[in-house]
Amino acid sequence: MSEPDLQITKVEKTGPYVWIQTADGSIHEVEKEVASFCPLICHEIESGVGYSKDYPIALPPRVNPAMLSLILDYCQFHYVAGHSNKERRSFDEKFSHMDTKRLCELTSAADSLQFKSLVDLTSRALARMIEGKTPDEIRETFHLPDDLTEEEKLEPLKNTTDDPRIRLLNRLYARKRKELIDRQKLKNEAEVEHEDDRSVDDLLSFINGKDGDSKEVRSSKNKKKSRKKKNQPKNHPPSCSSPNGNASSNTGNRLSLEEEFDDCDIDDEIDPALKEKLDREVEDFARRLNSDWPERMQEILSSGQERGPGPVSSTAIDPSINVQE
Amino acid sequence: MAYSFPEEVLEYVFSFINCDKDRNAVSLVCKSWYEIERWCRRRIFIGNCYAVSPGVMIRRFPEIRSVEIKGKPHFADFNLVPEGWGGYVYPWVIAMSRAYPWLEEIRLKRMVVSDECLELISKSFKNFGVLVMSSCEGFSTDGLASIAANCRNLRELDLRESEVEDLSGHWLSHFPDTCTSLVSLNIACLGSEVSFSALERLVSRCPNLRTLQLNRAVPLEKLPNLLRGAPQLVELGCKKLKGLSGFWDVVPAYLPAIFPVCCGLTSLNLSYATIQSPDISKLISQCQNLQRLWVLDYIEDGGLDILATCCKNLEELRVFPSDPYGVEQNVSLTEQGLVSVSEGCPKLQSVLYFCRRMSNAALVTIAQNRPNLIRFRLCIIEARATDYLTLEPLDTGFGAIVENCRELRRLSLSGLLTDRVFDYIGKHAKKLEMLSIAFAGDGDLGLHHVLSGCESLRKLEIRDSPFGDKALLANAAKLETMRSLWMSSCSVSYGACKLLGQRLPRLNVEVIDERGTPESRPESCPIEKLYIYRTVAGPRFDTPDFIWTMDEEGNTPLGIA
Repeated sequence: MSEPDLQITKVEKTGPYVWIQTADGSIHEVEKEVASFCPLICHEIESGVGYSKDYPIALPPRVNPAMLSLILDYCQFHYVAGHSNKERRSFDEKFSHMDTKRLCELTSAADSLQFKSLVDLTSRALARMIEGKTPDEIRETFHLPDDLTEEEKLEPLKNTTDDPRIRLLNRLYARKRKELIDRQKLKNEAEVEHEDDRSVDDLLSFINGKDGDSKEVRSSKNKKKSRKKKNQPKNHPPSCSSPNGNASSNTGNRLSLEEEFDDCDIDDEIDPALKEKLDREVEDFARRLNSDWPERMQEILSSGQERGPGPVSSTAIDPSINVQE
Repeated sequence: MAYSFPEEVLEYVFSFINCDKDRNAVSLVCKSWYEIERWCRRRIFIGNCYAVSPGVMIRRFPEIRSVEIKGKPHFADFNLVPEGWGGYVYPWVIAMSRAYPWLEEIRLKRMVVSDECLELISKSFKNFGVLVMSSCEGFSTDGLASIAANCRNLRELDLRESEVEDLSGHWLSHFPDTCTSLVSLNIACLGSEVSFSALERLVSRCPNLRTLQLNRAVPLEKLPNLLRGAPQLVELGCKKLKGLSGFWDVVPAYLPAIFPVCCGLTSLNLSYATIQSPDISKLISQCQNLQRLWVLDYIEDGGLDILATCCKNLEELRVFPSDPYGVEQNVSLTEQGLVSVSEGCPKLQSVLYFCRRMSNAALVTIAQNRPNLIRFRLCIIEARATDYLTLEPLDTGFGAIVENCRELRRLSLSGLLTDRVFDYIGKHAKKLEMLSIAFAGDGDLGLHHVLSGCESLRKLEIRDSPFGDKALLANAAKLETMRSLWMSSCSVSYGACKLLGQRLPRLNVEVIDERGTPESRPESCPIEKLYIYRTVAGPRFDTPDFIWTMDEEGNTPLGIA
């Protein structure tokens, strides 16, 4: 079967014709069967329009004579029932290879005619022209304005957020969270019933996190994970640390950081809807952490573990086991 | 001659553009494209859960249907990331449960997931269909029961390599009888046995099931039945194909049941199976359409030869060590096996290979055979192993890899390596996106070659190598173009970390040190571990007490809040 030539030679006049008018006023005589392949035109014909030069089918403005010609070429091939799928695909592939300007116009024209299969074809072709290009190249191909600001052009996910206000907000975030935790903690201490010899100060400094016992030592680490890569000589495990006594100095520094922000009217600058959303998030997250606190405290107080390296048993697969040294 | 892009079909055109890179490019073209793109983005990939906050993602992309999020650094797989590091998915799930009622897919990697999260997922998204949790932890089989029970259109449940608290195998029975939608089920990591009959019934009522990775011993006589109930199967993995040795001699009646399945298999995961070489070889020789094979080194060089002969469509090979800590080699697997596969399998693009010896010559051969390699991860079990033939470093071999394999995107090095290999990498590996370095290099120059030469580098992870401050500080700006940098047991000083934190406000510079605050030691003292990543979310506030985020103003760093 020979492939149809894109240079459609006008077929012998074999059947009834319809008249179609494009926006520029010109009227075209077209084979009815071919034109009917376009749903909108078909519909018009069925409504009785187009049978005479005086009552032509009026096409939407985006279909100029050149576009009409292309569209009819498309119809001319596809309206014939006999073509195989492979032939159709092959035709479509060649047909859609045209310069960018024409492709854009054709897509527009097809869309205004609601000619789905052609819109599909041309849209896919446009997508292929976009894929693999940088934004600059895309702009150049399609003559698009370069109207995003430099800030907005930072990595896409950064566009709206590389903003000092947002970072200030994150710090407010952190401060709020700490407040909520402290409040909850004090509440918990009042409620906690188990006997405990430690003073509140001890607990506070403990929770401020300079001691490491809050990590439970997990006994079963997934062996399979470690299998997946290199086996390496032993990492000398970090020596047992002494509990860090800097809790107070740390707290001191944190307070001074926060003081900086007490003076700013941060709230005024943030979009209220965003702020509300973020506040909700802070609270949820704090609540989530708070719900963990009672259990964590139980663990901390009842475990009394020595701070040290994770278990290094001969059966646990740990890539740091000594092979060489 | 200006003409306009048909804006009215813009959204429709975008529906044909799905890869992240292209979507990102599209969103940067101009204001109107940015706007339209964000409204029709359906799928998002967050490579680092701390790079952006859930709120920002939701605000920009209101119509997401599919989310993929990654948490811990890759070296967590080797126990280099301490417990409690972070990577909690909870804030994401909470935010999405409110904003994305039509969410269909969640894919997580190295994140901490609780049972509460799983329950929330199962109840918040009516069309939820795909849950993949790769190397995750923090949940139990109770959480899985919620998913099974409440997700009416579940298509995929994939627990690959996750650490699951196994309370019972009963959770599988929570799939209602009306569930027929499963396409993929991977429960290989689970310890407790699920009811075989429940599994069988589930498999047989899901006509679209294509992937099945099981955790229990599959008794020989039950395997054919199970497989018969899953005629569309293309991917199979069993922990123990019990009784497989001698299988081929003993019960020919069962073979016809297995062979049709073998022909259809494109992916075979035997990395948990202790079957020996002759049996693996026979199995593989039946699987001529195999594209992906994960196997233990029991396959040996002989088995790999057979693979090279029979499986011409092979694209990915992973060979794991059966006994990585044994001093003596227990199997006859050498560099030859990999060379054979590189010769025989023209489509091979992805390799992960554990072995005990390697030579520059073999690497050069592999590189010349397979210039189409995209991922090459070689793990010679002994650190700093030399070329076993010449006793030289393996610089030349890896140099050949990067020079010949122009499309290489991922590389893991091993063996004895000097700064020269990094020179080669910096010069040639222009498409390299991820590089893993361990016990390699001579000094800062090596790191400098990589940071200054590898234009596409996104992730760099280094352990136990003599890299210090100079290369890092000289290439500080490069760090903002990367997703993340991990360095542990190197020679980076605390002072340098503070400086980086100050100079680069768009990065989080996190010092991990289990010896207590670095403030208590001199600034020139090297820190234990360093994790630097770019972010728009500012310092995170869920850090445990052994992590310090370097502050922008060069103040005492933010510890836990």
